[in-house]
Amino acid sequence: MSANAGGLKHRDAAVAEEDLLRAGVYDVLAAVFRREPDSILLAELRKLQGDDTTLGRAFAALAERARTIDPTAARHEYTDLFIGLGRGELVPFASYYLTGFLHEKPLAVLRDDMARLGIERQEGVAEPEDHIASLCEMMAGLIRGRFLEPAPVRLQRAFFERHLAPWAGHFFSDVEAAKSADLYRPAGTIGRLFMEIEAAAFAMEE
Amino acid sequence: MKDRKDDQTVSARRDFLKLSTLGVAAAGAAAAIAPAKPAEAAEPEGSGYRETAHVRTYYETARF
Repeated sequence: MSANAGGLKHRDAAVAEEDLLRAGVYDVLAAVFRREPDSILLAELRKLQGDDTTLGRAFAALAERARTIDPTAARHEYTDLFIGLGRGELVPFASYYLTGFLHEKPLAVLRDDMARLGIERQEGVAEPEDHIASLCEMMAGLIRGRFLEPAPVRLQRAFFERHLAPWAGHFFSDVEAAKSADLYRPAGTIGRLFMEIEAAAFAMEE
Repeated sequence: MKDRKDDQTVSARRDFLKLSTLGVAAAGAAAAIAPAKPAEAAEPEGSGYRETAHVRTYYETARF
């Protein structure tokens, strides 16, 4: 009945528009939370646009902050939030959020799933894989099928529910509320809203 | 039939996602800030995750 009923056989060959949008949001989150923002990232963030939805407004707010913030202040903000002396205001790792310690079972479970999914780290990356930016990057990779066909939604859902849903919403809320957050406040809002959207969308699969 | 049900849920999910995310012009900008394609990158960009070759087999049989 739908226009694409005949396209079933080849549906996996292309990534649908809404999935590209999802991957795009994950890319933004990964880029923003991965490391201290540099001038290239800030320039890209200034291009973000949003409409009058809550998510759209958060994107517009992030672009606006990226326009006005001093680049040095942006770097310091990242350090204060996520690195600090000893530790930052927040610790952006799944294991820490779920157990209070780094390198605990959530990381082991993730590594096991990564091995089964055929995702591996590049050499020279020292930080644990359960960093929020890494998980967003993996979701974007699964959606796009970076090297092979895109992962089916049920697999994306399993990965999301196992590795992001238990903690990412809390983390992004904490970013919104963090006292060091300025540029990162709307980024936290984007993350929190998007985790809600993803969870609701996956729930429609049942 | 299974296929029809799947198509309907897929359609509902897609419509919801479009409504939720179409207002965000993130995809264009994000492409520019996405990590370099790891297979081609001389220097690791970002955390540099990549998928290995047996992923297709896994997708076909995947059960977490």
